[in-house]
Amino acid sequence: MSAATITRFALALCLAVSGYVHAELYVNGYRVIPVIGESFRWQAGASFALALLVLLADPPVLRFAAAGLMAGALGGFALSRTTGLFGFTEHGWQPAPQALVSVVVEVVALALLALPVLFAAHGRRA
Amino acid sequence: MSATEENSATEKDSATENSSADEQDLGPEGMTRRQLLRHTAWFGSAVVLTVVGGEVISHVATPDAVAVPPEDPNALRFAQISDSHLGFKGAANTAVEDSFAAAIRQINALPQRPDFVVHTGDLTHLSTPAQFDQVKQMMGELRTGKVLTVPGEHDSVDDTGQKYRQAFGAGSRGDGWYSFDLRGVHFIALVNTLSLEKLGHLGADQIEFVRTDVAGLSSDTPIVVFSHIPLFAMYPAWGWGTDDAAAVLNLLRRFASVTCLNGHVHQLFTKTEGNVTFHSATTTAYPLPPPGQGTAPAPVTLPAGKLKDALGIREVTYRKGSGLLAVKDVRLA
Repeated sequence: MSAATITRFALALCLAVSGYVHAELYVNGYRVIPVIGESFRWQAGASFALALLVLLADPPVLRFAAAGLMAGALGGFALSRTTGLFGFTEHGWQPAPQALVSVVVEVVALALLALPVLFAAHGRRA
Repeated sequence: MSATEENSATEKDSATENSSADEQDLGPEGMTRRQLLRHTAWFGSAVVLTVVGGEVISHVATPDAVAVPPEDPNALRFAQISDSHLGFKGAANTAVEDSFAAAIRQINALPQRPDFVVHTGDLTHLSTPAQFDQVKQMMGELRTGKVLTVPGEHDSVDDTGQKYRQAFGAGSRGDGWYSFDLRGVHFIALVNTLSLEKLGHLGADQIEFVRTDVAGLSSDTPIVVFSHIPLFAMYPAWGWGTDDAAAVLNLLRRFASVTCLNGHVHQLFTKTEGNVTFHSATTTAYPLPPPGQGTAPAPVTLPAGKLKDALGIREVTYRKGSGLLAVKDVRLA
């Protein structure tokens, strides 16, 4: 199995875990929170969709979409702990362990998405 | 075809396309028509699967129905209003009585009559007998099964809440706290405005009341808590929190669903901590600034015509078995 394939599978796993965490939070309570509840539902749906499609192939459009989704989730997390997001705030790593798990897999997913770009840039310089 | 084979086929296709790109029409981005179609297909697939996934998750969350059907006779329905500040005179709202009357009309116009209406404090601005008379008279016009209240700090300006309890304290205990059950939900109304210095305060007697009150309840009983000042630390620098709320929240940890509804902050705000969801309500009188914006929580005067957007009422519904309460905030019409 090539490194590219392993990277793709790891990316699919990260997307699926991020989707699962958001879906679980939505089902277990966040769905009643205005705007945030619905955004969790669609984040989860998009994460599952991209995880499935990334397993099948690796076109740039899916990588861009995955990067946007993961960056958006991390941005929402940061805003909810600083200025608030649509009137919603949380503190630190609450809810535990979902907050930590989602941040880890989203950061890893972005790193996996950035790797080919970095390698390509390095290759052009060499 | 396995995923790996599919991918290598994709890569081969891509190589073929690149080598023959000169022979095909190139779009403005240097992309062949076939590549554009392929990207569109992948993106479309992602969108379709996202919609399917979102609908599946919604169905998992509420298997029977996404919302409480309006005709469901067994559903619990109540409305929350807050911070009417009758007697307030200021540029932020020169007619708080009219705004409060509009809120009452809006509740009376709801398609289903609420089981009760709760006012989460600061009914009056200065706790005068005339202001209490006026607010009681106006709330008597609500078409509902019962009118409930908790006091705000403006309702106990000079008498530690005596006039408030004379007007609204019938059936309550201690300084005005109480609890009741309705359609499978347990409600607890707390008073955290009487012995406050900077933050709200419940006190040992009230915490003990909650301890004995919930002792016999099963853990799957939905709990709803009313208070004026938030039971979470919304912005302690402005007193938007309750210093001993943790003692009560710890007593409620074992329950699957706890919903805390408060007023005081004159703006919508929601947060979740574990099994507890907090919903701050807006006001029927005048807005306050968002936490930390400015030096103090002073009334905000909005541009002409914008005030009603900041005022509103809240509708809450619950159907037995659905686990969570549905909270809907509506602007003043």
